[in-house]
Amino acid sequence: MKKTFLTAALVVVMTATGFAQSSVVKVGIILGFTGPIESLTQDMAPGAELAFKEASDSGLFLGGKRIKVIRGDSTCVDAAAATAVAERLVTSDKVVAIMGAACSGATTAVVNNVSVPNGVVTISPSATSPALSTIKDKGYFFRTAPSDARQGQVLAQVAIDRGIKKIAVTFTNNDYGKGLADSFVSGFKKLGGKVTINAPHEDGKADYSAEVGALAASGADELAVLGYVDQGGLGIIQASLDAGAFKRFVVGDGMIGQSIIDRIGDDMIGTFGTLPGGVSEGRAKFVQMATKAGINGEGPYVTTSYDAAALIVLAMQAAGSTNRSAIRSKVMMVANAPGEKILPGELAKGLKILKAGGDVDYVGASSVEFNDVGEVFGTYREMEIKKSFQLIQVR
Amino acid sequence: MTEGPEFLNALILLSNYVVLPAITYGSQLALGALGVTLVFGILRFSNFAHGDTMAFGAMVTILFTWWFQSLGISFGQLPTALLALPVGILFTIVILLLTDRLVYRYYRRIKSKPITFVMLSVGVMFVMTGLVRFIIGPKDQNFADGARFIFKARDFKKWAGLSEGLALRSSQLITIVVTMLLVAALFWFLQKTKAGKSMRAYSDNEELALLSGINPDTVVRVTWILTAVLATTAGLLYSLDKSFKPFVFFQLLLPIFASAIVGGLGKPIGAIAGGFIIAFSEVCLTYVYRKFLIYLLPESMEPETLVQLLSTEYKFAVSFIILVLVLLIAPTGLFKGKVV
Amino acid sequence: MKPKQRPFIVFAIMAAMLLIVGFVQSWSVALVILNLCLVSAIMALGVNIQWGYAGLFNVGIMGFTALGGVAVLLVSMAPVSAALEVGGGQMALAAVTLIVGCIAVVILYRAWGERLFRKTVTCLAVIAVFFLVHSFYGPASDAIEAVDPAKTGYLGGLGLPVILSWVAGGLLAAGAAWLIGKITLDLRTDYLAIATLGIAEIIISLLKNEDWLTRGVKNVTGLPRPVPFELDLQESPWFIDLVETFNRGALAGLGNTERADALRMLSMEGSGIFVKLCYAGLFMIVLTIIFTLCSLALHSPWGRMIRAIRDNETAAAAMGKNVTGRRLQIFVLGSAVVGIAGAMLTTLDGQFTPGTYNPLRYTFLIWVMVVVGGSGNNLGSILGGFLIWFVWIEAEPVGIWLMDVLTSGFDPASEFRARMLDNAQYMRLMVMGVVLLLVMRFSPGGILPEKTGHR
Repeated sequence: MKKTFLTAALVVVMTATGFAQSSVVKVGIILGFTGPIESLTQDMAPGAELAFKEASDSGLFLGGKRIKVIRGDSTCVDAAAATAVAERLVTSDKVVAIMGAACSGATTAVVNNVSVPNGVVTISPSATSPALSTIKDKGYFFRTAPSDARQGQVLAQVAIDRGIKKIAVTFTNNDYGKGLADSFVSGFKKLGGKVTINAPHEDGKADYSAEVGALAASGADELAVLGYVDQGGLGIIQASLDAGAFKRFVVGDGMIGQSIIDRIGDDMIGTFGTLPGGVSEGRAKFVQMATKAGINGEGPYVTTSYDAAALIVLAMQAAGSTNRSAIRSKVMMVANAPGEKILPGELAKGLKILKAGGDVDYVGASSVEFNDVGEVFGTYREMEIKKSFQLIQVR
Repeated sequence: MTEGPEFLNALILLSNYVVLPAITYGSQLALGALGVTLVFGILRFSNFAHGDTMAFGAMVTILFTWWFQSLGISFGQLPTALLALPVGILFTIVILLLTDRLVYRYYRRIKSKPITFVMLSVGVMFVMTGLVRFIIGPKDQNFADGARFIFKARDFKKWAGLSEGLALRSSQLITIVVTMLLVAALFWFLQKTKAGKSMRAYSDNEELALLSGINPDTVVRVTWILTAVLATTAGLLYSLDKSFKPFVFFQLLLPIFASAIVGGLGKPIGAIAGGFIIAFSEVCLTYVYRKFLIYLLPESMEPETLVQLLSTEYKFAVSFIILVLVLLIAPTGLFKGKVV
Repeated sequence: MKPKQRPFIVFAIMAAMLLIVGFVQSWSVALVILNLCLVSAIMALGVNIQWGYAGLFNVGIMGFTALGGVAVLLVSMAPVSAALEVGGGQMALAAVTLIVGCIAVVILYRAWGERLFRKTVTCLAVIAVFFLVHSFYGPASDAIEAVDPAKTGYLGGLGLPVILSWVAGGLLAAGAAWLIGKITLDLRTDYLAIATLGIAEIIISLLKNEDWLTRGVKNVTGLPRPVPFELDLQESPWFIDLVETFNRGALAGLGNTERADALRMLSMEGSGIFVKLCYAGLFMIVLTIIFTLCSLALHSPWGRMIRAIRDNETAAAAMGKNVTGRRLQIFVLGSAVVGIAGAMLTTLDGQFTPGTYNPLRYTFLIWVMVVVGGSGNNLGSILGGFLIWFVWIEAEPVGIWLMDVLTSGFDPASEFRARMLDNAQYMRLMVMGVVLLLVMRFSPGGILPEKTGHR
């Protein structure tokens, strides 16, 4: 009786607000499809859509509903554009939750201006700025990627462990690069290393010879590049190699991508860096799934994208409705213990348990476990280019 | 620890990181600025669409390079793109003449104020930017082939027995050589040919030139053709040396303008000087001289700090600081440029 | 169509277009567009003062917009006491040294007179001042930036109400414009244009890299608002009552629980719209004030003199008018208006992100607004601001739709179709250019031309 009552109430609310057709649930994916990380998002969005499709196909999601994905382009750099697209998705397309945004700046704008005011759960797979830990989100914002404050320290440890004593640092001049560089530099110094120069580079500029000249002349043999693989970071590495300035490169997660090997080739061998996410059964399973679907599951933030989407699905199921605030209250529940552990590809199992009123602990591809502000503790993989990027160890 | 004489090492260090990159970048800026200055000299407006004209020329050249590559045509050690360059120039000429016919000519006939033309060029810039991105997309395009290096830093070190290396990329050599050839040809054209002479006459004094029977339409047409040659070549050389990305050409327009203005608008020789001044000041002012000084100074005087005049953050601002300083001292540029 | 009716008709069309967006997409989207239209209109008014009234070709609008933006954080953010403690004093010392130094250099320059080595001595003095200032500034900025860099790392602001920052933005931009004008206004048109273009870039790189002042690229988020927060509204009884009154019809006949649920949904939606309406109201007030002042000024003797200078500088100078002084005045006034708009824009965004400023969006687009709307005509500039912003935003969805229709004959999987759809967003750039060129060709004075009919 209670259930029919609830459904009836829901239907009324939906019709009253012109919500959506009852058989389709709309969710938004807001990522930087154009702009500095456009090549990363090419695998992230399909990764997330994999989870939504899995839930739809299972026939178990909210009694057989299907999920319709609406994509939006945050442009990554323009806060106003990101706000506008989120506003359109939330108020015009009426999405019930958002997977995104990708870049920290755009995410902050979306969360502050749209998600929190409209009460929409927003789970970012890749916003890593430390500042997001303290954002006033009223519990609507989560992220499946760990904060950069940690990555910088891990990367510094990796560099020290490999015997690097002196290093030059260049970062892309935005909130991501600056935040990562700050934590890397302080970590590296704390561990007894010396940072000879810490210089930003602007993305999409005409010429990087001045930067490379300054970096090279600082007297270090290794260069830490904390930028984007499609942007200035590539230009800096290319120009450094051309001039014979550095022997080896230490890179952050934004620089790890196949395209750097494609463009530069053998000279990149020996380059190493860190990438969020551990090695687990879930990860292996996901990579297999992704490969079958024609997605590069090993790419940066692809696992976290899938996990963000899966969490949205499970939280909706746990709430038993597409009510936005009901979803919010369930995200923590499905992500953390106690409950039955759920791996990628097992969403159907999770949906069934939740429908029966049970509890799940979503582990997923990136071993999700939220702390009290709704972000994951970071494990990182240490990667090195041998012929392609290869895993060395997990930290 | 170091090998070889210290001062040689210092010299090579500076050549590798300052002189060579600055000459290359300066050549690219100079070619761009020449185009801007030619248009200003004859048509008397600052052409904001010039950066995107360069992008358009480079784009067409790249499209044809891909086609040639797929046909198996190559240029040996040199990049195939050089073979496609004439085609790119041809297309750019067509589009510039078309723009002139559709946009600028009407206003020339009704003798609009110069500022109207600047506004028009902003409109053309928007259309051209959109067109280029529409055709080839916003991303980085890879089209380079042929040998990448003349010699590498590592090989140079071994050969010279020094601890500092010097690398010379083919694209750098091509840029410098092509720029020299093109500039020589341009000056020969302006000084020796009838069309060039009438251009100079028209630029110096329009009324007088018209009175002496020079056909203004021909002069304008020749100007656009020269502009197309310069813009396409500059765009391609730049793309070969760095990479082709439509967005960058707008960024490039700013230092190009700075170069043209520093030299004095309408003065070809000023554009060349301006290009090198801007390029050298960008690199020199932000260079870290520590290592250089370590080589030259006795050990007791070795600097502790980086010895950097300006941090690289402000590299992009350097060209404009120079621009403002020059304009304060010489309000129409170093070579007394034109005023409309 | 009589010329007098023209403004009414075009503004009616504009309003109709916004209404259509409201009905087809959503009212929130329409209001977001409207708010940015209002801000754009104010920016266009500022540029119109410089270009339309006086023929000054300022291509540094982006810089003044950004200065307005930075005023918001300097006025409204709470001060960071830890940072003030470690570096505030020294930074103040650096500022004082800078000001005193500059005055000293000017005095020296004047006192030196026509004696030898005037320029050399001045240069040396400037360098000395630079190093003196730097000796205070360097350690201070390092100390400030080291204070909890992930969250603060800057001095913060004054903690005053954010509305004040709109005035402050105008003043800051005006101050900068005075300085820039002193340096550049003697330059001729094209030289002035490129110089202002360059100075705007210098301003942006300062804002991006002086972290101690602006937090640089780490952005300042969570700026205070002049209007209530949506969440607070959703919890305040008076607002819920208001929503209830508005939707009495829809809510009637529902049971208690259903009613509460529906009401909660409605007040959530309503709060967003309410906040945007508040902004729209504030912006409308600012626009009205500035527009009224502009119109009064344009038709005053001062306005006639300015236009006389624009149309024939030599003649005006011969009549004994102080041409350079008037030009400086105009430059400062116009920039101040742009600064106010810049501050409003940052307030609306709720965050200051120096990385977003680029000349295409913040300089050239504004120019298109002025020229298309009608330079020299205040109403025209407002219309230009509305129309061009509307087209700029709606060109993307319309472009995608258009490409979809045009390529619908192709196989859905074909590469050509995918490519056309992918690149459809660049249509907006092309559309902008074509609109500008067409208007300049067929209605050279813009859609609402200047009334005096001088050109």
